[in-house]
Amino acid sequence: MQILKLKGNKAKAISTAIKTLKEGGIIIYPTETCYGLGVDATNGEAVNKLISYKTFRDDKPISVAVTDRKMAEKYVTLNSTAKNLYKEYLPGPFTIVSKGRGKVAKGVESNTGTLGIRIPKYDFMLKLTKVFGKPITATSANVSYKKTPYSVKDILTHTTKKQQALIDLIIDAGTLPKNDPSTVIDTTLDDVNILRQGSIVIRHKHKVITHSEEETRGFGEKLVENLIAKKLNKPIIIAFQGELGTGKTQMSKGMAKALGIKQEITSPTYIIAREYKLKKNFAKFVHMDIYKLMEGKEIWDVGLAEMLKEKNLIVIEWAEKISQILKEQSKKAFIVWINMYHKSESERIIEYGEFE
Amino acid sequence: MKILAIETSCDDTCAAVLNNDRVLSSVVSTQISFHKKFGGVVPNIAKEKHKEFIDPCVAKALKQAGVAMKDIDVLAVTYGPGLAVALEVGIAKIKELAKEYNKPVIAVNHLEGHLLSPFLKNSEGRIYSNIKPKFPFISLIISGGHTELVLVEAIGKYKLIGQTLDDAAGEAFDKVARLLKLGYPGGPLISKVAETGDRKRYDLVRPMIRSKDFNFSFSGLKTACLLSLRKIYASKSAKHDGEIISFSTTSDYFDSTKMFFTKKEISDFAASFQEAVADVLVTKLARAVAKYNVKHVSIGGGVCANLHIRKRIRQQFEKTGIDVAMPKTRFCTDNAGMIGIVAYHKAKRCEFLKDVMKLDRDPILNFK
Repeated sequence: MQILKLKGNKAKAISTAIKTLKEGGIIIYPTETCYGLGVDATNGEAVNKLISYKTFRDDKPISVAVTDRKMAEKYVTLNSTAKNLYKEYLPGPFTIVSKGRGKVAKGVESNTGTLGIRIPKYDFMLKLTKVFGKPITATSANVSYKKTPYSVKDILTHTTKKQQALIDLIIDAGTLPKNDPSTVIDTTLDDVNILRQGSIVIRHKHKVITHSEEETRGFGEKLVENLIAKKLNKPIIIAFQGELGTGKTQMSKGMAKALGIKQEITSPTYIIAREYKLKKNFAKFVHMDIYKLMEGKEIWDVGLAEMLKEKNLIVIEWAEKISQILKEQSKKAFIVWINMYHKSESERIIEYGEFE
Repeated sequence: MKILAIETSCDDTCAAVLNNDRVLSSVVSTQISFHKKFGGVVPNIAKEKHKEFIDPCVAKALKQAGVAMKDIDVLAVTYGPGLAVALEVGIAKIKELAKEYNKPVIAVNHLEGHLLSPFLKNSEGRIYSNIKPKFPFISLIISGGHTELVLVEAIGKYKLIGQTLDDAAGEAFDKVARLLKLGYPGGPLISKVAETGDRKRYDLVRPMIRSKDFNFSFSGLKTACLLSLRKIYASKSAKHDGEIISFSTTSDYFDSTKMFFTKKEISDFAASFQEAVADVLVTKLARAVAKYNVKHVSIGGGVCANLHIRKRIRQQFEKTGIDVAMPKTRFCTDNAGMIGIVAYHKAKRCEFLKDVMKLDRDPILNFK
């Protein structure tokens, strides 16, 4: 292991770091947040070496440092959320997760194919990644989840001899200011292709406009009363499409009222699905918000198959994410689609009907 | 009394070992799933994931505590509220362990866990928050899935006095981050960009702040944010190369690659939003303290990790002689340590399950 002081020695530090990275070695380098652990992210052997170094500390994935957005785009696809974040917040203490292009070594991208990118606001790292021309892994050189490494001493006193033997080079910039580790931001939930399996065209479409939350709730109540009156012998799915703040939860409250539910209907977003047992008409009222699902097929892990086995009333917010799956289930369940839009501050446009 | 506690109500698989109310170990699945997913950022709710992580989590918790299964006196598990298929995994595991090792079981309400989390002790017996519970007190639980005010008359004796009527406080952070096109999750991000922001710049309504009850509406605040952002956008839309994107159909806004707001506007907006959340929480909490005439307050849940909200709550009660017990950051978000402390108190009251095989999950469990 070689330790190089960065101060007054930048050119040599960069050339030595480049040589070490090219040879598949591990370097420890300073950033604006803390010391990082770097290998060539495209070199499978080097990445394996890094993983064997890190096994004792396993609560963070591997992200990579690049020099600018242009370089990042060789390795990930940026959607509009990501582009905005790059423009406004990079370089800076953020790790921005996007869909990977599969161009880094195995084990660097997550198992869903996403990759976290850092552009450290730290001159040495920007130069190093620029000269190296390839992404360098940017996991923090933490030795335990308690201690963020701000000095070389932090690292050396908390690593075993075996681990130290794996480190080839340390770039020592002294004690770094105690900034928090980078904030991880996932932009892939906003990917249009994840959000929409396909837009749904509603057949026999009806349209109403509500002028207040009370009216929106009232509409939900009436809709469910009509559905009960149909006396169907299968589960019913009410599939919502509509942006934030259009009143989906309000309408669900009205539906719950029609079912005689006394509890407060609160948003299911965080836990994905809330179930309410019923005494008549249906076995359960299941209120779902699937915005957080990465892929439509995860709906099965949340228990859709079980929900379809009995006569339940299932409300799904962000149903456009599983429109294909719902199409395939249209024999097993009676499906009503509802689209909601803002008309004005208090008015909402509600379109509803069956599948096209 | 050695307790093994399991928690699987939502994203994280958690296991902990306690000696009475002292935490010997507390393991969360994100520490197990090395680089498979992005640090728990990507939702990890699927029951298959819980099934995969539960054994390693339990093994790691026992190992870190230096305790063997045969030394465990009591088993504890969350039975609600939460995602049904996720809760089932923890319950199935506890049934298996209870049968194999013939141990008594305690079923725990996840919310009671958040409520008692500030009173967890370290292995030497020091309360992490340095504050002992003094009854009666008011507890404010603020997380991704819940926002509740609870009157605590004694441990085990709770009265729900108010709650959100729609979205939880933590959820509002995620949704406002989305409106600002900042990505997921919103909590840490909003608090980060708000650091340099002007919290007085945007005047956001504080829904229900004047209502006499102790309920909240964070969906109302989210909608207020949407409308406010739309106004800012409308006032400057002409400047965007003549391209008019109607913010009224919000999907156009999200599909567009344009950034409508400057970095300064985003920082100021995040700070203004955070301030609105803090105002509502602090106002209702202070009013509950006055009405029930308590001398003690505690908070719990993931949103308690937000430094600005912690600061505002601390400031509110600074000169009043009212103690505020706050959980250590790692016990704010979901963990099994807090399930263990509930089990400890229930065990002292001999509230063991008579027939563990009959234990069923209760996805909408709440305080009465």
